[in-house]
Amino acid sequence: MDYLLHVMILALIYSVFAMSLNLELGYAGLYNFGHVAFFGIGAYVSALLSQAGVPVSAAMLCALAAAGIAGAVLAVPALRVSGDYFGIATLVFAEMFRLICLNERWLTKGPMGLPGIPRPAWIAPGVDGMPAYLLFTFLAAVGTFVFIRRLTGSPFGRALRVIREDEHMAQAFGKNILLFKVKAIVAGSVLAGWAGTLWAHYISYISPADFTLTETMLVLLCVVLGGRGTNWGPVVGAIAVVFFGEAVRFLPIPQALTRYVAPLQGIIYGGILVVIMMKMPNGLIPEYRRKNT
Amino acid sequence: MSYYLQLLLNGVIAGAVYALFAVGLTLVYGVFRFINFAHAELISWGAYLALMFSSPPVSLPLYLAVIPAIVLTAVIGLSQDWFIYRPLRRGSPITLLIASIGLSYMLRNVLRLIWGSDLMTFSLPPARAFEFSGYYVTGIQLLMLASALLFLMILYLLLTKSLIGKSLRATADNLELAAIMGVSMPKVSAVVWTLASVFAAAGGILLALDTNLEPMMGGANLIKAFAAVLLGGAGNVWGALLGGLFIGIAENLSVAFFSPGYKDFVSFAVIFLLLLFRPRGIFGLLTGVR
Repeated sequence: MDYLLHVMILALIYSVFAMSLNLELGYAGLYNFGHVAFFGIGAYVSALLSQAGVPVSAAMLCALAAAGIAGAVLAVPALRVSGDYFGIATLVFAEMFRLICLNERWLTKGPMGLPGIPRPAWIAPGVDGMPAYLLFTFLAAVGTFVFIRRLTGSPFGRALRVIREDEHMAQAFGKNILLFKVKAIVAGSVLAGWAGTLWAHYISYISPADFTLTETMLVLLCVVLGGRGTNWGPVVGAIAVVFFGEAVRFLPIPQALTRYVAPLQGIIYGGILVVIMMKMPNGLIPEYRRKNT
Repeated sequence: MSYYLQLLLNGVIAGAVYALFAVGLTLVYGVFRFINFAHAELISWGAYLALMFSSPPVSLPLYLAVIPAIVLTAVIGLSQDWFIYRPLRRGSPITLLIASIGLSYMLRNVLRLIWGSDLMTFSLPPARAFEFSGYYVTGIQLLMLASALLFLMILYLLLTKSLIGKSLRATADNLELAAIMGVSMPKVSAVVWTLASVFAAAGGILLALDTNLEPMMGGANLIKAFAAVLLGGAGNVWGALLGGLFIGIAENLSVAFFSPGYKDFVSFAVIFLLLLFRPRGIFGLLTGVR
């Protein structure tokens, strides 16, 4: 039962993370391959502050702000280039972040990571607090969902989609493309930081090994599998990926073969990503497009 | 002073290998206009296959084991293109990019499935260091430098003297125009992928001889290759070559000034600064063969 709660919490946190990436990748057409950095910034800032004695709720807010600022700092230079170059710039940003976490031991304890990150005061530590934490992440995920739906349904969201489809046309309509993209990245980064704080305070131990390219790949898979540019897509994708990942543990696998499980899982994840791109690039829930008449 | 010269020497050797990685990446970009993330896996597969053929049960001597390893890597590279990238080429460029990320992850995990995640090394006799008036070079490093030079020379001759090399350059310059002029696209694409895989595998083997093998080795070096490619101006072969050398030297010299943990930071910073100020690359302006 506790295990089921754990899986549900993970799925919800990943949903938030995937929704935040979808805002950039699906709606704005910005191929951010370093999104895990903002997840990491949220996790580290929140963890460090709360360990320094700041109340958890205040630490979480600071973490969101830090992720947002980092997003703006990355966005302004990275948006000078577009398409795959933007992808590389963001990917490199994520690796820089990881390298700093590994090397600045005075702050992050390097590869040892940060153990014992406290939960919010009203949630009991350990297993006892899991139902409460599930409620907390559920509310957080619902809040994120509603926020993104309102944002993307607003004129701002429509403008983003126009920019994604045709930048020149958006420009001709008098839209400040750079400003729109920066706003989208800042919003996406804040939400990714949000997912990061939720995760850090739940799992209570973080280290640089949690923020590698593998996580980027996984969240990309969630978004692409579910459907880019849709509200439900990333949620469905995240739930599918997390439940699949955890279900593998219950397969009757002999002790001697357990070392093959993780690589096989990786092969399947990578394979699914390739197959989706080839067979149904719009994912499980394709974005609604009005037919051309 | 001699300390810095020693670092410079190490940098040139590392840079020669980075150049091997970067050449393939930039060739693929030049012709197909997409960044192949799975290039990383060609690097590590080359190294692991060489390890496989040189250890029991096959136990070929290393200089022979290299041949089937490189050939098999080329097969992987060609099938990447044939089964995945070629059908996707008509779609939006981003599907190609995401597919290559998925493919890279998949191939890396196949590697882990077969050989495990632990560090592995070629069982070589302990490296002897040669001394040249105060500077030290191991035999393997000399081999790295020599074979990198050899490979790059072959590339130069191929691109400038042979017909297929010329059609390759024409395609990189303007794909449609080249096709109109009767350049055979399947042929060019086969040559590009073969070259990219062979160079990646050769570089991977050399790197593994000098250091060790681990499933992530390709990914770590791909970022350096990116940096080299961007320095040279994407699609520019000779630019990538110079870019690789530059990255190798800058990285090794950085050890004198910063903590060695930040060695990889150099290529990251180079990528960032370049994208910021000179997205077209620096060496792209040099008159070179495109």
